[in-house]
Amino acid sequence: MDGAPAQSFCPECGAPVPLRGTAVTAVCEYCGSTIVRTDVDLRLVGKVSAILDNGSPIVLGSRGRFRNVPFEVAGRLQVGYARGTWNEWFLTFADGTIGWLADALGQFAIVRPRDVAIVGGRVPPHVHVQVGATLTIDGIQLVVVDRRVADYRGSEGILPFLAEPGVRYYGVDLRGPGGEFVSLDYGQRPDHAYPVPYFGESVDLRAIGLHPLRRFQGWPPPNAPGPART
Amino acid sequence: MVATAAAPPSKWYREEARLDAVQCPSCGGPITRSGFGAIEKVVCPYCGSELKPSEHGTLALLQEVRRQQRQSILPLHARCTFEDLPWEIIGIVWREVEADGHVYPWQEFLLYNPYHGYRYLLFFVYDNHFALGRPLDGAPRLDAAFGRRRASWKRARFKHFQTSVARTIYVEGEFPWEVRVGDVSVAHDYVDPPRGLSVEENPGPDGTDQTYTEMQHLDGAEVFAAFGLKGKPPRPQGIGPFRPNPWRRGRGLTWGSFLVLAGLWVLLSIVYAAARDDAVVFDKTNLAFEPFVEEIEIGKPGDTTTVEVEFWATPLSNSWAYADIVLVPHDSDDEAVGLGIEVDEWHGNDGGESWQEGDSRDDVVLGGMKTGTYTLQVTPQAGAGVGTAPPPELRWGIRVKRDVTMARYVLLSFFVILGFPLVLGLLSLVVESQRWKNSDYAPSS
Repeated sequence: MDGAPAQSFCPECGAPVPLRGTAVTAVCEYCGSTIVRTDVDLRLVGKVSAILDNGSPIVLGSRGRFRNVPFEVAGRLQVGYARGTWNEWFLTFADGTIGWLADALGQFAIVRPRDVAIVGGRVPPHVHVQVGATLTIDGIQLVVVDRRVADYRGSEGILPFLAEPGVRYYGVDLRGPGGEFVSLDYGQRPDHAYPVPYFGESVDLRAIGLHPLRRFQGWPPPNAPGPART
Repeated sequence: MVATAAAPPSKWYREEARLDAVQCPSCGGPITRSGFGAIEKVVCPYCGSELKPSEHGTLALLQEVRRQQRQSILPLHARCTFEDLPWEIIGIVWREVEADGHVYPWQEFLLYNPYHGYRYLLFFVYDNHFALGRPLDGAPRLDAAFGRRRASWKRARFKHFQTSVARTIYVEGEFPWEVRVGDVSVAHDYVDPPRGLSVEENPGPDGTDQTYTEMQHLDGAEVFAAFGLKGKPPRPQGIGPFRPNPWRRGRGLTWGSFLVLAGLWVLLSIVYAAARDDAVVFDKTNLAFEPFVEEIEIGKPGDTTTVEVEFWATPLSNSWAYADIVLVPHDSDDEAVGLGIEVDEWHGNDGGESWQEGDSRDDVVLGGMKTGTYTLQVTPQAGAGVGTAPPPELRWGIRVKRDVTMARYVLLSFFVILGFPLVLGLLSLVVESQRWKNSDYAPSS
């Protein structure tokens, strides 16, 4: 066990790389290289495919508060599928936990990982999930609203796993009658019943006080957040 | 301290997103792009050609179309304020459903705010109603109760109104999803005026995509105000699925005031009854069955009062008695008051079961009687069933009271109090029946 984390540097261009916490990979802000942390050193994975500007108002470094715990947007995973692209923003919470802010079609949801045992063996494999069907997960009746096969397109900042562009993964989104949002991550194989569940809820950017946000020509920037709200 | 490295190069996807104007690759018309990066489909407002934004910002021609631009009630790029937030119309879709040989068209305006996503403003062309839709932050529970489909979302309950097949007939502007003329989708509409919930089904490769939209009725005036438009909005026809029932608007207040008035009524009734003299002005009993005349005093002259006349006959046994009573006033020009009171008693034995009915006393209450002296004339009669006679010892009696409690007054005032909520309730039922006439649950169509 080493002490305070030493400053890491990009093996490609030598610029400082802000790898920290649970982060496994980072994209170099200077040269765009994807760097992965191994047990002994930093390894260069290669040039990352560029992030596509899909109109998200969120920027790396935005800060907010979810269920009263402050968080920072530490990374972005951009994912593409048949109907376009969306963003999964990697959140690091002040209490040391992590989460994801899903950002698609102007709707936002924050989810946090839960134990596979909650759903393991009790949900259908990805190939058998029907959109519109009802599944009971952790005692909550949820409706499958999306079943997708998606590819990692690009990333920025730090991420808790290596997401090489082009890698295909399988996911299912469910929503509940009380605003619940659950995502099942089947990983890179659709034929098993042991997805990682992510639980959370839809959020409004105003309510989580996300700031700063990107600016859009012709639109007044939203007000800086007032007193924190939950 | 590590020597500060050069600042990292700025990333264009974090800088201010810029508006963009391009020419339609088909007709050359100027297209303002306000949807920033999230747009999947652009339909040229001028010629209808279908375009797809490329990753480099250019528009690729998907399909060339030659159609005229059509005039919607609101134009592309108009800005408005809803939910205290600014929105811009970036896309317009006209859709319609067909039912009973009629076509019901509406216009859907896609509202966009880069920080808050999308809303839908609906203008129902066939009845001039407006509604604002927002994507639901979840999925409603859909089930049925008492044979009626319903949707539950958080604490709200919606009743199924109708299921229809909507067809897209006209498109212009930018969309973050695929849309084209001829698209068909099944929409299930649930209502809880002024709110509604729409469940739209689109068959997809992985099952049936369901999109859930919360709807909120808007008055034309609210829409015009939201867009800063002058002039009068089109006059709405009928009630529409989401328009609040005007007779229900104050329902809580109506029934609340009814309760207050009813409480007041109970109090006043008690006070009214307690304040009555209930004074006996004449009382005679054990009278034989022959005409009877006597002068009686019903209070001091110059006032109005209520009068109770009570008549009884005893012992009645399978017989009846009837009194023809006339009160002739002395102190006023009012006409004489005539009334008849009948009492009877019947009993017998039917298959081992004995029965009894009738009453040997009865009364009549007269309102608005002038006080003063009256001549009381009573012509009593008695009789029995076929082949029998009334008991020979039958006698009758009469009692006259003034300033009695008049149940009619008490009840009438109650019905007046009840009348308001009742009438409002009836009117509201009429409106609801008009609303549901256009649903899948119309009595007959």
